[in-house]
Amino acid sequence: MKETLNKLLKIDRRWLFLLLTFSILIPIIKPIGISSKSISSGVQDTYNFIEKLPEGSTIILSMDYDPSTAPELHPQSAAILKHAFKKNLKVIIMTFLAGSGGLIDEHIRNIPQQYGKEYGKDYVVLPYMPNVLAALTQMSSDIYAIYDKDKDDKILKNFEMMKKIKNYKDISAVIDITGTALLDSWIVFVGDKYGVPVMGGVTAISQVGYGPYLQKKQLKGLIGGMKGAAEYERLISEPGKGTSGIDALNIAHLLVILFIIFSNIVLLILKLS
Amino acid sequence: MEFSTILGAWVAAGLTLFIFSFLYKDNPFFKAAEHLYIGAGLAWHIQLIIYKIIKVKVWEPMKVAWASGNWFTIWMIIIPTILGLSLITQFIPRISWLSRYGFTFMMGYSAGLALPAGLATDFTNQILGTIEPFANIVNLTPGQLINALILLIGSISVLFYFFFSIEHKGAVKKISNFGIYFLMIYFGASFGNTVMARFSLLYGRFDLLVRYSNAQYFYATNWIIVGLVIYFLLEKFVLNKVIAKNS
Repeated sequence: MKETLNKLLKIDRRWLFLLLTFSILIPIIKPIGISSKSISSGVQDTYNFIEKLPEGSTIILSMDYDPSTAPELHPQSAAILKHAFKKNLKVIIMTFLAGSGGLIDEHIRNIPQQYGKEYGKDYVVLPYMPNVLAALTQMSSDIYAIYDKDKDDKILKNFEMMKKIKNYKDISAVIDITGTALLDSWIVFVGDKYGVPVMGGVTAISQVGYGPYLQKKQLKGLIGGMKGAAEYERLISEPGKGTSGIDALNIAHLLVILFIIFSNIVLLILKLS
Repeated sequence: MEFSTILGAWVAAGLTLFIFSFLYKDNPFFKAAEHLYIGAGLAWHIQLIIYKIIKVKVWEPMKVAWASGNWFTIWMIIIPTILGLSLITQFIPRISWLSRYGFTFMMGYSAGLALPAGLATDFTNQILGTIEPFANIVNLTPGQLINALILLIGSISVLFYFFFSIEHKGAVKKISNFGIYFLMIYFGASFGNTVMARFSLLYGRFDLLVRYSNAQYFYATNWIIVGLVIYFLLEKFVLNKVIAKNS
């Protein structure tokens, strides 16, 4: 008995990798449909804030992530964009991360058409900007001083939706979806300094660190990881990649919890014997 | 479907599987993918600097300013460019002192911009956030009161833990030890979220691998897995024997 348990503790970890692989692959191939009932307060607050904005308001959606964090963050930005278009809000999409170009293209190729939205009238895409601090501070007085053209080199001022936009005073909210610390810059240089409501979408890893900003309402809402994306998709009744990923996450987590409980029981038995 | 899309799917599926193959054992496919990643990453950053920074922020505005004879704009481009280029002199020891000018500008600019705003956001506002609920204590619900108390006790005890100017003994030691529990809860929550984040990334890659295993991508994932399995079998039963025989 003791020998078998000792062997179990020294099991080749590649078997565990294989089990983990199956636990994520099987729900992708054959979705189980495990429902997620709870909605985090940060996600609910973000949804409520956007829901309450009057039609025609302009929001900034800053997509500051690249393919390395896209599985968590891409469903979040898709859900925000869908919600904004449903509510007939105008959206300025921008980025401070060059690697996000393809991901932004993917969204604007698929989402606006579903809601009959037009480029220039309902949304614009700004080009990649390398200096975050310069851009964030400059936009407080005149957006066009730093962004004179859109991503396709067209004069930004000439677009219909931009005619009433000059600086942050004309922006109703900022939502920064990011796998970096750029959300901090939005809070410091835009939210706190100019009073623009800032919300965020971050990876699950960094979610905990934003608790103090949420508590102080420096952040009006926060979406965390794929779970947050799934919750937002549920709120807007648009199931997407976040929802389908929850099955795999649930099974994988269950497996890890089982591993932890099992190995602790084995250790306990060995210790007692 | 376009040929480039199919080729892209094969490259993406191949590189993902080559990297994952390391979980079984080190192999030449993993090494090739690893080196390719470093090379491609470097090339990506170089093209980014040339086409998204130098071309857009220096070359094109300079052409316009030069054509219109706007000397103010020309100098506004030249001065930051020289300061930026001065950073590269670090690689030439003889004139590396020039880089100090660039760094001085960067440090002054960043500190001036970040310090006042950062202090307000991360320091004074957070202190205010911890005390504020008690100014309105009469209107707090029992839940909100408990929440505010936990925050206050947690903040103070953790601050005590990081306060090293007095010896940690007696009451101070007890309070700082209490702070450890709050820190452990924070680390536990962070670790749990990290696990979730890693699984989300794994899900993202597997989702792509499943997509690329479709007929429209000519079963890219399936063929590459078969290829890798054949390689590992050959290595185990043929190559190793040949190597052992020759040595």
